[in-house]
Amino acid sequence: MRLGVARSVWVVRAVGMLGLMVGLLAGVPEGYTPSVAVVVVVLLGGVLTAFRPDHLGASMTMGVVLVWWAVQLHTEVPAGTLVAAAGLVTAHVAGTLLSYGPQFMPIPTEVVGLWAVRGLLVWLVAPVVWFVARVYADHATPTSYWLAGLATALVGAVVAAVVVPTRGD
Amino acid sequence: MSEGPSRWHTTGSLARGLAVGGFGVAVALTLGRPAVVVLVGPLLVVASLALLGKPSREPRVLPRLAHLQLYEGQGTRSWLEMSGTEDAEHVTRVLGQQPFIALHPVGGAVLSPPDDLRPIEISPRRWGERRVGTEKVAMTSAWAGYRWGPVQLPGREMFVLPAVTRMRSGGEAPQPIGLIGAHRSRREGGGTEFSSIRAFHSGDRLRRINWRVSLRQGTLHVESTRAEEDTAVLLIVDAMADYGVSEGIDAADSSLDVTVRAAAAIADQYLGGGDRVSLRVLSPAGEYAGYGTGTRHLRRILGLLARVRPGVPRDVSIEQIDFRATAGTVVVVISPMLSAELAIATVRLVRRGLPVIVVDPLPPGSTPPVHPDPAAQVAQLAWRMRLLDRSHLLSQLGAAGCPVVPWNGPRTLEEVLRRLARRSQLPRIGV
Repeated sequence: MRLGVARSVWVVRAVGMLGLMVGLLAGVPEGYTPSVAVVVVVLLGGVLTAFRPDHLGASMTMGVVLVWWAVQLHTEVPAGTLVAAAGLVTAHVAGTLLSYGPQFMPIPTEVVGLWAVRGLLVWLVAPVVWFVARVYADHATPTSYWLAGLATALVGAVVAAVVVPTRGD
Repeated sequence: MSEGPSRWHTTGSLARGLAVGGFGVAVALTLGRPAVVVLVGPLLVVASLALLGKPSREPRVLPRLAHLQLYEGQGTRSWLEMSGTEDAEHVTRVLGQQPFIALHPVGGAVLSPPDDLRPIEISPRRWGERRVGTEKVAMTSAWAGYRWGPVQLPGREMFVLPAVTRMRSGGEAPQPIGLIGAHRSRREGGGTEFSSIRAFHSGDRLRRINWRVSLRQGTLHVESTRAEEDTAVLLIVDAMADYGVSEGIDAADSSLDVTVRAAAAIADQYLGGGDRVSLRVLSPAGEYAGYGTGTRHLRRILGLLARVRPGVPRDVSIEQIDFRATAGTVVVVISPMLSAELAIATVRLVRRGLPVIVVDPLPPGSTPPVHPDPAAQVAQLAWRMRLLDRSHLLSQLGAAGCPVVPWNGPRTLEEVLRRLARRSQLPRIGV
């Protein structure tokens, strides 16, 4: 017996694709318009993500969006990046929801609600970073970037050491 | 269930969050793009929280099924007994799809927290042996960072008995020859149904004296009654082929579905009335149950019917089968009569003086399973010729004194048995 795709799965797929497109097109009102080729690539990547959420192509599509923003912007941090961050978080959450089970399994409303709240909360990091970046936009130097990177790597190493168990555990 | 190496693995979600977040930070630092950190900041937070929720305990999961024997159309529940699920945030269960097994929720897939995992309802839609409960179980840790499984859990064999429509028939056995039962006998004895008024014999009970007739006649007269006896019923089930499409109970029936359900209903009907019932299945396994009574015997018959697989009997031809039908036994042959050998065997039983009824289980418009190849038209033509042969065979059976009735529920035999009983009570001329 062949089972159809659950309606909730279709909705989450559509939301995920929309999230990726919003991540790319959020700068259009401020004049950051991507070329048609980039839009097509991200759209295709969105379709792939919707049907194969755990595929490497999903990460690569997000990578394309990041690269496009990195190429468009230099030191400026427009408000559109907040919307783009929301789009990327939405796409990531949608991918997570889709990977819980087979496509014929309806995604329960409670699980969708839980992840919607989580997505909203983690998105709040974006305005904080955006605010800090705006404040320090004119004061940052290459040295400060490298220092920030070193600090981030250090924090990451500590977290990894705490979280990942050693062989003796 | 969960011995050996850990089955917790990182999810695609965690990998994506780390990869995109790490790539974004690297781009931001190397090219000096603070805006990219804004974009990937939330993803890094999600990935970090998922990493912090790394599980350390291995769950144990055992599948459970409430019932292993059901009647078709009934339902049972499948649930999981779990332990060590403290690190799991969500459990995903997906039951394997099996023919003639209905699942609720549809698809047999559920996703919920481990402490609120709902059982999956299972309902077999057709008799027979069915494997149910084969499923895959997966768990995800907090923030969907790690996944346990999916682990394949084995299913269990479920025995699905044919559905029995409970209805007590008013049909009487034509020639009951037994001890105590519910059928009106041809001989007189201690019963409730009036037979005649006759002269008093020694041994008659005083309370049976009919005083009005005795006064009028001047000698004592008593009311006599008919004895009530049980009867023996032999069910011959033709399982040599299955015609038509079976879609389970409350949907389209194949000929074998009708055969098995009719046999179950007739056995239930007569055993419920205290009669002796025997079953003979014409199939490769040749299922057989001798004469017996009671609920236990009914369950045995239903169990044998549930095991029936269509096919031609092995190692024995129908002509050689001893049906063990003694005098007075009601023989019910449930067959589409597409076998000339079975028709001949049926006529032999009729000629022995036994009351024989043929129940036709062939649903209208049913066809045999034909491989979809260019010869399908030829097969259709051949089937039409078989149907013509069959109608000829059925009319010959009717002419030989064997009524043929299509199965129409438990009351199918009532009218036919009444007619046979009337016929058996008619005076006969010996030649």
